[in-house]
Amino acid sequence: MSISIEHIEELKKEFAVVCCRAEAGTIISASNLEDPAIFEELEDSGLLKMPADCLKIEEVLGAKLIKTIDSLTPMTPDMFESINKSDELSEPNEKAVLKYNKKAGDIIKAEDLENPMNFEKLEDSNLIKLNERVLNREEVLGKELIMDAVALTPVTGPMLKGYVEKECNEVKPDKKQSVKSSVLKIKIAEGKGIDIEIPLNIAGSFDNEYECAGEKFNADTIDAFEVNEITTNTTIQEPKKLRSLTKKYYSIKEVKFGEKTKIENGILFIREDICDDAKKGIDLVKDIKIEIITPDKYNTYSETIMDVQPIATKEKEGKIGTGVTRVLDGVVVIVTGTDENGVQIGEFGSSEGILEENIMWNRPGAPDKGEIFIKTQVTIAAGTNMERPGPYAAHKATDYITQEIRDVLKDIDDSSFEKTEEFVQYRRRGKKKIVIVKEIMGQGAMHDNLILPVEPVGVLGGKPNVDLGNVPVMLSPLEVLDGGIHALTCIGPASKECSRHYWREPLVIEAMNDEDVDLCGVLFVGSPQINSEKTYVSERLGMTVEALDVDGAIVTTEGFGNNHIDFASHIEQIGMRGIEVVGMSFCGVQGALVVGNKYMKHMVDNNKSEEGIENEVLSCNTLCKEDAIRALTMIKSALNNDEIKVPEKKWNPSIKESNLNIIEKDSGKIIDRVLNETSIPLSDKRKNKKK
Amino acid sequence: MASLYKFPLKMHIGAPCKAIVKEGEALERGQCIAEPEGLGVKIHTSVSGTVDKITSSEIIIKAHEVQSKDYIRIKKCNTIKETCCEAGIVGAGGAGFPTYIKLDASIPDGYVIANCVECEPILGHNIAMIEQNPEVMLKGLQYAMEAVNAKNGIIAIKSKNKKSINSLTNSLSKYKNIIIKELDDIYPMGEERAIINQIFDKWLEPTQLPLEASSVVLNCETLCNITRAVEEGKPVIDKDVTVGGKLCNKKDVNIFFDVPIGTPVSEMIDRCGGIDGEYGEILLGGPYTGKAGSLDSDVVTKSLGGIVVTIPFPKYEGNVGLLVCACGANEDRLRYIASKMGAKVVEVLPCKNVENIRGVNKCKTPGKCPGQAAVILKFKKAGANRLIISNCSDCSNTVMNSAPQLGLGVYHHTDHVFRTVNHQLTRRLK
Repeated sequence: MSISIEHIEELKKEFAVVCCRAEAGTIISASNLEDPAIFEELEDSGLLKMPADCLKIEEVLGAKLIKTIDSLTPMTPDMFESINKSDELSEPNEKAVLKYNKKAGDIIKAEDLENPMNFEKLEDSNLIKLNERVLNREEVLGKELIMDAVALTPVTGPMLKGYVEKECNEVKPDKKQSVKSSVLKIKIAEGKGIDIEIPLNIAGSFDNEYECAGEKFNADTIDAFEVNEITTNTTIQEPKKLRSLTKKYYSIKEVKFGEKTKIENGILFIREDICDDAKKGIDLVKDIKIEIITPDKYNTYSETIMDVQPIATKEKEGKIGTGVTRVLDGVVVIVTGTDENGVQIGEFGSSEGILEENIMWNRPGAPDKGEIFIKTQVTIAAGTNMERPGPYAAHKATDYITQEIRDVLKDIDDSSFEKTEEFVQYRRRGKKKIVIVKEIMGQGAMHDNLILPVEPVGVLGGKPNVDLGNVPVMLSPLEVLDGGIHALTCIGPASKECSRHYWREPLVIEAMNDEDVDLCGVLFVGSPQINSEKTYVSERLGMTVEALDVDGAIVTTEGFGNNHIDFASHIEQIGMRGIEVVGMSFCGVQGALVVGNKYMKHMVDNNKSEEGIENEVLSCNTLCKEDAIRALTMIKSALNNDEIKVPEKKWNPSIKESNLNIIEKDSGKIIDRVLNETSIPLSDKRKNKKK
Repeated sequence: MASLYKFPLKMHIGAPCKAIVKEGEALERGQCIAEPEGLGVKIHTSVSGTVDKITSSEIIIKAHEVQSKDYIRIKKCNTIKETCCEAGIVGAGGAGFPTYIKLDASIPDGYVIANCVECEPILGHNIAMIEQNPEVMLKGLQYAMEAVNAKNGIIAIKSKNKKSINSLTNSLSKYKNIIIKELDDIYPMGEERAIINQIFDKWLEPTQLPLEASSVVLNCETLCNITRAVEEGKPVIDKDVTVGGKLCNKKDVNIFFDVPIGTPVSEMIDRCGGIDGEYGEILLGGPYTGKAGSLDSDVVTKSLGGIVVTIPFPKYEGNVGLLVCACGANEDRLRYIASKMGAKVVEVLPCKNVENIRGVNKCKTPGKCPGQAAVILKFKKAGANRLIISNCSDCSNTVMNSAPQLGLGVYHHTDHVFRTVNHQLTRRLK
């Protein structure tokens, strides 16, 4: 089917393929062109094969065919008398360097600018020097030269007519270089809300080494300002410290049952009869058992792992997200369970089996290898495993036990904490402002999250996300890292974010510590079950993000499939408001996005599995530091209008690797790659799947 | 179609040929119009028409309006070598060395190497030919092997030309003892001695011919011409040409097969829509070894493969040093470029690997740098502010490791050509 004239503008960068036979002599118009939306299907079904030199729609519109071509033929240059080379400026943010010898009075056109591909070599050869004074390509387009300039001259402001006046009236609050190359300084003794921004490059003279030698720029226009010191309010401000959080760690070497719960000399004793009390008053809990799993017992069987939780407590009635949190190091709580019929809780893919075959060690949300597990196995009433109260009851019963440990942790002498860690939340005004949006499960059946319990990853005081209507709730990064989310998520084990994931959330940590961005907060938004609610929620998210006035947003999700509908809708609601969005999700092969929209152009895949699948290994495909770095780099690139390449049609794990390589090369830092399921023993379940 | 076709009497290495036709004489396409006096091969007309004028250097033929693809066949010869002489075959890659002389050898343990490297950037007609019809070249290689009694044939081709290699591989099963040798994409990989070094890991002296490595190296199109001469009796009257650069049809590279020899260069440019605005020069040949041509007088010859319309030269009215290398532009060409830029030449130095063999610069080890720091220091002392260099990929890399550090600017003589077609400049190797 041909494309309509209304759509031609947005499709002009797509490949040009004729939809029906076109005779030699035809002047190509929209009606001759196949809709690019179906190219992928056509290619998959073998009806279409794109040649390397296939022309773009903008190149063929109005061009005359010299050959008769049949339907579904991709158009190539040899079929035309001549094609339109787009006069549109490519790479607008690259520096402007003249390609031809030019005279005063010449107007600079796109074709007059040197291709940036060779800038590095030309600079290296001492033929050009691209400093901050050199304007960008888009800045010089259509401008008139006021002096003669030879080919390979970088274009600076003083070479152009009308440049100074125009820029002086324009306020660009975040020109980084204005501070770096500070030649002009301004002092304003009194006054409020004065915004002054002057491109300091106008104050310099030309470097004599370059072609424009001799043409001195007259800086008359700026003489009016007293040269002194910078006190304007548009310059970059110091980062502002909002609050801090200290985690103190007490190292546990052994966990034993004892008469009462206590901590002594690195040994945690758990009251022997604690389970009797834990299930009291919770009707749905029929039985609860505790197993202490030390590393030598990693090869024992376990029911599906519902959650992994840190054992931590606030000091002196402190609030989550600030003050001091006491943490037991070397031990985690693991919640597991079945219903009375032995059906796993959360059987949408589950991780039951030999522990060491089903846990991806050291993921943010998983146990670290070497840790001791206090593993509860909760039996809940038959048939309640697939509705909200069942899993909630299992978590609540487990938390009774954790709380008893928290209470004794509060009483430990302060001197016995050997390690502390400080997290500081800064706001960095003047930097690109971003928000992290974390989509959490809230589909009413069993997926839920408790937001902001009183204790880190506690139950008491936490508001269930579903009861809040799944609408966006803002947390500070420190609240997230202090156990502000208690996850009751029971989706596929490999991509679900356990409570411990939020406690060590890599994206929040990386973004909070990134000096190039101003992270304003972390918005949690649910994924409701009913379609009308989905729109309601994502529209609220859009409005909230709009009101935040951010430059960019990173949206993450867990799981795949159903939640991707919300995920796409969240990104759309943010993107349509002119805010750059990066999306992060497990996709790979199995989790390929089922829906999409035009704002979903910056995507980061969290997959780590070899085959791109939900492999039922706990936390295998969750967001790790390497993914966080990629997402941050991507949002920064998007905000700088750098080109981000369109992904390939099929899943290709090497894209991730090549992106990481680029970041490593750019930053000079090595990024550790996490291991995947191939590093742990193969479970029977996975063996069978392979067959 | 142009009406006047010019046939230079010297389209080869050797002495000019002597015209054997008279002004006003009617001619048929394929008819012999000049014969060698000394080293050389016959020249045939590529058009039917009448002789318009004969000068000391060329025969001008006025072509009939309607031309046929058909031609007068050459006489049957007893040997392939003789056929090559009769058909006027010379090296089509640029040098124009008479092929029958190359084939005057017997190397039973040796190799015929098909030079399909096409190492000058922009040029693409050889690779395109192989991709579309590898058989013509393969057959030619087999005839050449037969002519010199060589058992083995090697096709030297850059590994980046995947499609052509596929196409060759698919056809290769029919041919015995022919293998493909894939080479890297650097200049001057297609130089005869560079190819031999790549294949046999041995450098020939600049004075030595490939024969001393028991090899005969023949260009792809030359091999095709052998096939055509042997099988169809076709003399060399048509040439494959790549036209590129600043053209109105906005295509950086235009490939034309079977262009009649003698066709004016200006007509080839017109076939690409004409020149797009201001230009620097009409480069005949490839970016490295080509020379400035004339729109008025130059024509397609037996060895002209490339026509590139370049952007204007960048102006630089300062002192330049010229570093002459055997693999690229010679001193004359560098002086020409410097004058076009408006620069003052203060020093001219050869790369230390250059040897002048019978008036032609040859590099001792094409593509392997001998070090350039000493010459760079001399340029600096002579007062040069910038250099114009004509080195190969490897030597340019070396220059880049010293000249800029000494404050010298560096142009490569191919810059204006590559900037025209948005090709990577020759500088540091990555």
